[in-house]
Amino acid sequence: MKRIRWVAAAVAAAMTVSLAACSSGGGEAASPAGPGKLTVWVMGDSSAHFDELVKPFTEETGTAVETVPIPWDSVDQKFTTAVASGNGPDVLQIGVSKLRTFADSGALLPLDDETLANHKNLASSNFLDGVAGDATAVDGKVVSLPWVSDTRVLFYRTDILSAAGVAGPPATWDELRADAKKLSGRGAGKFGFHVPQWDSALPVTMTRNFGGDIVGSDGKINFGTPEFEKAVDLYTGLYSDKSVPTNSDFDQVQGFVSGVTPMLVSGPYLAAAIKQAAPQLDGKWIVAPMPKAVTGTSLLAGSNLGIWKSTKNKDAALQLLDFLSRPDTQVKWFGLDGQLPTVKAALADPKLSSDPLAAVYSKQLMDSKLLPLVPNWDGETGKALLDALNAIALTGADRGQTLQKLFGATGNSSIN
Amino acid sequence: MKTRLIPFAFVVPAMLPLIAFGVLPIGVALVVSFTDMNLAGLGDWSQIEFVGSANYSRLFADAAFWQALANTAVFAGLGVPAVIVLSLVIALGLNRGQGRFYRALRSFYFVPAITGIVAVALVWGYLYNTQFGLFNYLLSLAGLPAVPWLSDPGVVKFSVVLVAVWRGLGLNVIIFLAALQGVPKEYLEAAAIDGASELRRTVSIVIPLLRVAIFFVTVTTVIAWLQFFDEPFVLTKGGPLGASTSISLFLYQKGFAASQFGYASAGSVVLFALIAAVTVIQLRVRRTDAD
Amino acid sequence: MLTDIPVQTPRKPLPPPAPEVRRSARRKGSALVGTLLLAGALLIAFPFLWMVFASVKPRSESVAYPPALLPKRPTFDFYVELFVRLDFGRYLLNTLLIVVICMFGLLAMAAAGYGFAKFRFRGRSALFFLVLVTMMIPGQVTMIPSYLILDGMHLTNTIPGIALPMLVSGFSIFLFRQFMTTIPNEVIEAARIDGAGEWRIFARIILPMSRPILAVQVVLTFIAGWNAFLWPLIIANDPNLYTLSVGLSLLNQQLATNPSLQMAASTLMIVPILVVFVVFQRHIVQGFALSGLK
Repeated sequence: MKRIRWVAAAVAAAMTVSLAACSSGGGEAASPAGPGKLTVWVMGDSSAHFDELVKPFTEETGTAVETVPIPWDSVDQKFTTAVASGNGPDVLQIGVSKLRTFADSGALLPLDDETLANHKNLASSNFLDGVAGDATAVDGKVVSLPWVSDTRVLFYRTDILSAAGVAGPPATWDELRADAKKLSGRGAGKFGFHVPQWDSALPVTMTRNFGGDIVGSDGKINFGTPEFEKAVDLYTGLYSDKSVPTNSDFDQVQGFVSGVTPMLVSGPYLAAAIKQAAPQLDGKWIVAPMPKAVTGTSLLAGSNLGIWKSTKNKDAALQLLDFLSRPDTQVKWFGLDGQLPTVKAALADPKLSSDPLAAVYSKQLMDSKLLPLVPNWDGETGKALLDALNAIALTGADRGQTLQKLFGATGNSSIN
Repeated sequence: MKTRLIPFAFVVPAMLPLIAFGVLPIGVALVVSFTDMNLAGLGDWSQIEFVGSANYSRLFADAAFWQALANTAVFAGLGVPAVIVLSLVIALGLNRGQGRFYRALRSFYFVPAITGIVAVALVWGYLYNTQFGLFNYLLSLAGLPAVPWLSDPGVVKFSVVLVAVWRGLGLNVIIFLAALQGVPKEYLEAAAIDGASELRRTVSIVIPLLRVAIFFVTVTTVIAWLQFFDEPFVLTKGGPLGASTSISLFLYQKGFAASQFGYASAGSVVLFALIAAVTVIQLRVRRTDAD
Repeated sequence: MLTDIPVQTPRKPLPPPAPEVRRSARRKGSALVGTLLLAGALLIAFPFLWMVFASVKPRSESVAYPPALLPKRPTFDFYVELFVRLDFGRYLLNTLLIVVICMFGLLAMAAAGYGFAKFRFRGRSALFFLVLVTMMIPGQVTMIPSYLILDGMHLTNTIPGIALPMLVSGFSIFLFRQFMTTIPNEVIEAARIDGAGEWRIFARIILPMSRPILAVQVVLTFIAGWNAFLWPLIIANDPNLYTLSVGLSLLNQQLATNPSLQMAASTLMIVPILVVFVVFQRHIVQGFALSGLK
C-alpha cells in the first residue's frame, strides 16, 4: 500500500508543480520585454559576438539587449508561431531569402522616411545600392534595413590553371567556358568548372551578365528574353562540353580541394571551408571577380534587420538599428563574426581592403544584385528554373518545350 | 469509486493532453483547408477568406501531388515489408541468448534508431556520394562502374528507403524482443521434446503468439511510411526532379515552407484520410482474424 | 493478501535432457546464428561507427579520398569547441527537466493503455480510435494550433509549456494497450476477489507484469525528451530555456556546414541514450514469467 501512496503523492505533486508553473509563468510570458530592454533574434550561433557588439549601445543608452539565437534551419517555425500569437521580438535578423515572406506577413514595422528621419545612419544612401531602400522594398514598403552582406565570386586553383596552360582567371564567360573545356581535358574524372544543381542564383546571375534580367517592367517574372536564352546556352553548354560534373551530390569543397573542379563560383563561406579542410592548399587558390559578359554583376545575399510591428519599444529599436548601421560598428562586426558589412563606408575601411579576399568581396558587392523578391523563390520560381535547366542539360529534355513550361509556371510570380 | 467510472479514471489523464494537442489540431486543419490562410491571415484573422473546396481541386490537379503519391506508394511498398520481416528475424535471433555477447549485439542494432537525423544525412550522404563516397569506392575496387545513388531518379528511391529501413529497425526489434518475453517457455520445451525442429517451433508457436505485437508493428510502420519525410528531406530535398518527394515532403514544400496553410492543410487532410482508411482496413482484417 | 497471489509460479520441473545429438545440433545452430547476427550488427552499426570516427578526424581528413575509417591524427578539438560554444550546463539541466516531466506522462499513458486493454466501457472504441488518429497527421499541421492553445494557457516561455505537448503520444498508449491485452484476465480477477483496489492492481500487478514493455517505453520516452527540439525552440523566447538539441542546431550555418563538428555533436547526444538503453535492455528481455498462469 505504501508504494501506491508514494506514487499517487508524486503524481499529485507533479501536477501541482506544473499548474503552479502555469500560473506563475503566465504573467511573465505574456508581457513583452519592458521598457529599457530589447529582445533581438539573431540567426545562428553568433549571439555571444552580438552581445559583445551591443555592449557600448547599452552603456550609451541604458537600454539592455537580450539576444535570442535562432537556428537557421528552424526560423520558419519560430517566425510563424510568433506571427500566430502576436508575440514577437523587438528586433529580428531576416535572411534576404525570407524577406518577402516576412514582409507579406504584415508583422514588421514599415520603415518610411518619416520613421527614419532622426537617424542619419539609417539613410538609404549609406548602404550598398543593391540592398538599400527600394531594392528591398516589398509592395512599395520598406520593412527592413540592411545588416550584413554576402556575394559570389570566382574561386580558382592557381596551381592547376597554370599547369594546364591557362594564364589567369577567365574574365568573361566565353573565356571561362573555353578554359573549363581545356581543364576538363586533363583526364578522365577531371572537370573544369562546377555548376551546383541546387544553385538557382547562378542562372539568374548569368542572365544578368548578358545584360538582361528575369523580371519584366511590369514586375512579373519573365524568362522569355534573349539574354535568358544566352544564359541557357551557357548553362547547358557547360554540360554538353563535359566541363562540369553531372551528379547532383557533387561536393564543392572536396571537388575544389581534390582539384577535380579547379574553378567554381561561390561565396565567402567556401573560403572558410577550404581553409579549414585544406590548409596545405594556402597560396594555391585565390578568388577573382565574377566573369563578365555585358555586365559583371554578381549575386547579393545576406541579412537585414526588421522591427516587430507591435513592439512597445519602437524608439529604442530604431536607436539600436542606428547603432548597428554605424560604419565602426559594422567594421567591428566583421572583425568579431567575419560577416561583410552593408554600409559602404565600412566596406572601404582599411581593415577590409587589406584582406586580399575581403577586398575582392567588397569590390564585387558594389556590383551585385538580390534575387527578385517574389514569394517563395526557393520553393517555386527558383525550383522551376533549376528543374527546367537540369532537365535540358541532364536528361536531354526538349529545350523549346521545357522552356515554354517554365514560362507558364513562373509568369504569374510578381515582385509586387 | 463507482465501478462504471473506473476505466475513465485510468484513461482520462492521458486522453486530455492527447485530445488537446493531437485531436483538436486535426479539426483546426480541416477548417483551415477550406480557407486561403497564409502568414498574413495567421496574424490577422479578418484577412482569411473561405474558398470552399478550391484547395482540394487545386491539389488534385497538381501533377506534383500525384507524383508524390506514387513515390510514397513505392516507398511504403518497399519499406514496410522490409522493416517488419527484418526486425522480426533479428529479434528472434537476439532472443536466443542472454549473455554479454547478445546484450552487446542488441545495442548495435539499436544504435541507428537513435542517431540524429543530421548525422544520418552527413554519413549516408558521404557513403552515397557519387565521386568521393565509400560505396562507389568499394565498387571501383571490385572493378564495377560507379552508381549514381542519389542522382538517378530510379536508384534514388532505393537509396532513401535503405536509409529509412536502417533507421527503422532498432525500435521494432526492441518491441519484438519485449513481446517475445510473453511466449511461455514451456510450450517451446514441450514442442522440443516432441521433436519439433527450431524453425518449426518458431513458425508454429512463436510467431502466432506474437500476433498482437506484429499487428502493432504493422499498423505503426504503415502509418510511419505513409508519412515518410526525414530521409528524402535531408538527403535529396525530394530530388532529382521530384523522384524522391513523398507526400509529406510535398506538403512541406508547397505549404509550410511557403506559408500557404490552406493548401497545405487540404493536403494534410487528404493524407490523413488515406492513412485512416488504411488503418481501419487493418483493424477490420485483424478483427475477423481474431474471431 | 495481495502478496500471496502467485504471480510468479514456480517453474515446472525442467524436461529431461534432450538427446546428445540434438543438443550439439543446437549448439552449431547457435554458432551460426551468432555469427550471422554479429555480421549484421557490424553492417548496421557501420554508419554509426563512421560518425564516431569522423568526429575525431581533422577537417582535412574528413574530405580525403580514398576514404579511411580510422583517423590518422585524431583530434578532440570539435568536442572542446562544443563545450566552449554551448551554454552546456544550462541546456543539459533544461533537457533533464523535460525528460523527468515526460516520465510522468509515461505513467499516465500506462494507465490509459491498461484502461483500454482490460475494461469495457461506453465509448471505448471511439476513444481508442482517437488515440490512433493522433498518429495519422503530420507534425507540422498540429504545430500552430498547439502553440495557440499553449499561448492561451499562458504557458509560452515556461518549461511545462515545452513539455506538455510531448507528454503523451498515441504511439505509446497503443503500445501499452497491445501488451496489456496479453495479460491474463484471471490474474486481475483473482486480485479483485482478494479485495485489492483497482489502482493497487495496476501498480502492484499490471506494471510489474509489463516490465519488458515498460522498459521499452522508458527508453523511448527518454529519447523523445532528450531530443526535444521543436517545442523548446518555439515555446522559449529566452535562450535560458533552450535544450541541448536547440543549442546544437545553432551551430549549423546557413550555407557552410562543418561536418566534423556535427558528427561530434551527434555522438555527444547519443551517449546518454546508449547508457539508458544498456541499463534498461536487461529488463526488456527479462520478462515476468506469465507462463505459469495460463
